[in-house]
Amino acid sequence: MSAVELAQALWLLVAALGLALSVQHAGLPVLGQGAFVAVGGVGTALLGPGGRGWPLLVAALVSILAAAVLGHLVALAASRLEGAYLALATWALAWLVYRMMLAFPSTFGGAQGLVRQSPAHLVSPWLGLDLTLTPAVHVVVAAVTCALVVVAGIRMTRGPAGLDLAALREGPELAASLGIPVAARRRAVLTVTAALGALSGAGTVVLLGLVAPADVSPLLSLQLFVAVLVGGTTSWWGPALGVALLTALPHVADALPGDAERGRGVLTAALLVVVLLVRRVLAQGRRTAAAAPRGAAVPDLPHPVRDADTVLLRARSITASYGSLRALDGVTLELWSGHVHALIGPNGSGKSTLIKVLSGELEPDSGEVEVRGTTMTAPGPEQRVLEGVAATPQRTIILPGLTPERQVAVGLRGGSRPRQAVLRHLLATPSSRVAARRTASLVAELLRETRLTPVARLDPAELTVGEQRILQIARALATGARVLLLDEPAAGMSSDERTTLRHVLRRLAGNGIAVLLVEHDMTLVNAVADHVTVLDAGQVIATGRPSEVRADPAVQRAYLGTP
Amino acid sequence: MDPGVLLQALVGGLATGAVLGLVALGFTLIAGTVRVLHLAHGDLVVAAVFTGVLVVLGRTPVATTLDPGPALGFALLVLAAGAVLSGAVGWLAVRPHLPDVASGRQGDALGWVAALVAAGLLLREVLGVLLPQEAYAVPDPLRLDALSATGVFSLPGGGSLPARVPAVLVIALVVGVTAERVLVRSRFGKALRAVADDPDAAALCGIPARRVVLTAFVAAGLLAGIAGLLDAPGRAIGVDDGVVLGLAGIGAALLGGLGSLRGALAGGLVVGVAQSLAVTSLGAEYADVVPLGLVVVLLAVRPLGLRR
Repeated sequence: MSAVELAQALWLLVAALGLALSVQHAGLPVLGQGAFVAVGGVGTALLGPGGRGWPLLVAALVSILAAAVLGHLVALAASRLEGAYLALATWALAWLVYRMMLAFPSTFGGAQGLVRQSPAHLVSPWLGLDLTLTPAVHVVVAAVTCALVVVAGIRMTRGPAGLDLAALREGPELAASLGIPVAARRRAVLTVTAALGALSGAGTVVLLGLVAPADVSPLLSLQLFVAVLVGGTTSWWGPALGVALLTALPHVADALPGDAERGRGVLTAALLVVVLLVRRVLAQGRRTAAAAPRGAAVPDLPHPVRDADTVLLRARSITASYGSLRALDGVTLELWSGHVHALIGPNGSGKSTLIKVLSGELEPDSGEVEVRGTTMTAPGPEQRVLEGVAATPQRTIILPGLTPERQVAVGLRGGSRPRQAVLRHLLATPSSRVAARRTASLVAELLRETRLTPVARLDPAELTVGEQRILQIARALATGARVLLLDEPAAGMSSDERTTLRHVLRRLAGNGIAVLLVEHDMTLVNAVADHVTVLDAGQVIATGRPSEVRADPAVQRAYLGTP
Repeated sequence: MDPGVLLQALVGGLATGAVLGLVALGFTLIAGTVRVLHLAHGDLVVAAVFTGVLVVLGRTPVATTLDPGPALGFALLVLAAGAVLSGAVGWLAVRPHLPDVASGRQGDALGWVAALVAAGLLLREVLGVLLPQEAYAVPDPLRLDALSATGVFSLPGGGSLPARVPAVLVIALVVGVTAERVLVRSRFGKALRAVADDPDAAALCGIPARRVVLTAFVAAGLLAGIAGLLDAPGRAIGVDDGVVLGLAGIGAALLGGLGSLRGALAGGLVVGVAQSLAVTSLGAEYADVVPLGLVVVLLAVRPLGLRR
């Protein structure tokens, strides 16, 4: 392999590492890295020496910025929680850029591409730089760039950004419910991916003196996508393996009969199929890993003393409907600090709908939700989480691959938004170290509080159902929530686990948290609730102490159907 | 713009758009049923056409007029190829990545995205190995040009179009509206909506959810085959042209509000006319730029669709 080929492979690796950030680390299906490579290459060629005549570094920098902006705009397509729309947007972008390069030959040089004399010297009086560009220098520059990207990437994923990425990848819905701004984070990720793609394109055009449509075609986008998937996990050496395969690909294609271009395409498709099959086998392996049952000894705790009761959340005349079905009809409810408030009612009475309205997931038709005296205006869970209201989903969502400890840290990250935390961690500023220590101690405390310390570092798939349900509560609590909305937290729990849950809930109330508990298990409700509200057909039919509510004839009618 | 030229661009655009509507209809059918964005749908259109070409004319096809026998065979072959290929893609590439309650499998969007681009690439490259030319002239089994003696259809205002263009417009509209009606009214359409709403609940009600999903793919493939039969003979077509055709169809589906069948047909007409007007007023180099740019811009500015 010649030095030029090596340098070319290393620049390709820069693009692959950038794409890995989106695909592997954030779980975004990006099919258009070739387009960003093209923007970097073409931009540098058009603006730099031989084009507009700007200094080479300036031209490259402007092109990279342009690609970053483009990446940011395209990522607007990922505002929905299904990330798949981004696949569509980036795939269309890959073809748009490619077809434009062919359709406007006067600007982009047609099929032959833009040819620029590869500079022999890189001179910058401004930076005091005078570099003779031998192939070896190209290799060193490209290798140093790769190394910098890898080091920054590793450092970043160990800090707060790693938590964000893991949450985006493993459960965007859950991340949103914990207050992590999913769409904004995705835009940030794709911006970085695009910038690295453009950097790769600029480096390659300086090296080869040529950027042709066929070299930055949608096929390149797919090849980079394959290269990133080959690594399979979230390791940083995965893309290197993938790029090594890509570099070998043309040689194999040449050895095959027929058109070499087609051969590369067939091999890319074959590689993609193999990667997919391997992925499926791995995923099946993960599913069959059985959960080991574990007994939990629960010491009995005294009820802690309660704070002065204050109203933390107030819902006024909430009405909500699904199409023509009215799910909630003028529901008013108050949650007090230090109280466990149980919400019960027959199936379909509107309990889960009310939780959705309170958590911001569902916009009510009328009525308002007030948190600590402030009326909530913004739709979506983000504002609620920042105001201290967090919900746990009815079905268990585990974030596979993240230990309970890390999952709780995700919640912590969602609730507090220190400015530029990612950048500060990357530069290892003193404040970031303080923040890291604080995070660790808070996580440990939350795990103690919810009695998850013994399982803190296990694979989440090994947790029992009950532990997973309690982990959901710990995660929500970690956002700094003063109001917890729990939708059937005891579902699927053994009776031992229910006892643990009872203690955890009392403990939380003891710390002044307002808990709204939707539950069918009346034994649990009677044991833990200070206050019970009964919903039937979207209306409150009774509210009061558990004993009062039990005696209420309207409640007995709703439950037993007696006239 | 000269009114004659404008009318010509409009009618031509409507014809292209009606065909795009059929592509969009298939795409929106799959998106609505299994929540999958069918990135290989356009490749199926082209693959169906070239399967017919390979079988009837061989690897070195020349533009020719087919006798009624081979013409009928060609047409049926294209439709069958569309249905079979689409069903195969649905079964082999998409189904393994859909959520499945029975085995506890979660949906894997990265998986079906990768599988669909792999399927599309495989179709393009295998056909490209067999048919190495950049583009081919495909015979018209329906002989729509024979509708007028000169092969040309004169428009008021001095413009003229190949005689097949208005015929394509009419056929594509009739097929599209009929398909939409069938999908809304029939038992299959009802089953489809039930599965789209909640596959598990549908299965509990005795609806064979898997078979319904497979049928949706076959129906989308059939529409793709019809689109290919109408579109390919009018122009020189290459094996790689499917992607842009598919993306144009996707743009139409997005424009019509993803999941809406009627919207897909209307969106097709809008995209077709926009493309035709851009080509007439700005130049042929804008033929691909308009639909591809539309998809990128639409997804960025209205990621929730125009209807929502």
